Amino acid sequence: MSGFYVLDVPDFRSLVENARRDPACTVHDVVAGYTFIEFHEEIEIDRAATKLGEAVWFGCLTGGLDGRITHFSPGKLRLAPTNLPILPDQGH
Amino acid sequence: MSNHPETLRLNGVDHTAHPTWKLKETVHFYRDIMGLPLVHAVTAKGWGRVDEQHADFLHFFFDSGNESLIAFFHYIGTEQPPELKVPRGYMSLANHTAWRVSTEAELLAWQKRLQDAGVKVSQFITHEIIESIYFRDPNGYPLEITRSLRDVEQIDAVDAELTIEAALRLEGAEGWTNIEQFWRAKGELVRARQDAALSGRETAR
Repeated sequence: MSGFYVLDVPDFRSLVENARRDPACTVHDVVAGYTFIEFHEEIEIDRAATKLGEAVWFGCLTGGLDGRITHFSPGKLRLAPTNLPILPDQGH
Repeated sequence: MSNHPETLRLNGVDHTAHPTWKLKETVHFYRDIMGLPLVHAVTAKGWGRVDEQHADFLHFFFDSGNESLIAFFHYIGTEQPPELKVPRGYMSLANHTAWRVSTEAELLAWQKRLQDAGVKVSQFITHEIIESIYFRDPNGYPLEITRSLRDVEQIDAVDAELTIEAALRLEGAEGWTNIEQFWRAKGELVRARQDAALSGRETAR
């Protein structure tokens, strides 16, 4: 199950609201303080749509990620599922 | 989480202190530009330790509000050692003092006061829970004035514990080079937290 976790605080709420509008994302109910936003294919998040300032934008995955970052710039974030280990020497 | 059963607390910042080799500029900046009252000064012949060859010095304090002070040492007749010069680059900015104001209007007023005095000040930077302006004093010491955007809640502390737990798992690991690896490690902890909460709900049924 790929996706990312968003802490249930106002700072990141617009990120969750934006994901609700994306048919490629499934927004789960808040559990234990975090919203899980699930995806099954590469998704693209547009910073302008999230209304996040740059400082928060570049920390918007601080809740945790199950996937990989394929692109992260001031305007766009793209995430995709991954089977790769977290660290390069894992999985040997 | 604290393991200490007794209640032992700190009560905010009394003072921080920095060395200065720019007496005039430092007093002008803190007292005249920022308007922080000069409230206390110590002058001493070293610390009386002959072996240490401690320079005679001045130690003076400005009131930065809410019973906190910012203090400076001026070591008479000394040159600034190279290792105490504030290095260039972002890493040295980590070593900074951040003062609190209450409102956006106050933050704007500070920005204007500093700019009017010729101090280079950043734009407003909005972080998760605070909004800040950044500048440097004449010694190059990084300073910040900030206002809170919201109260810190219990869930913020939970999140901070998970962040540190994930980071401690990665610290020292071969090949930990970036935040994506950390976010994935933290994701595993958050998933475990959610699984535990959900299985707790099942058990409770």
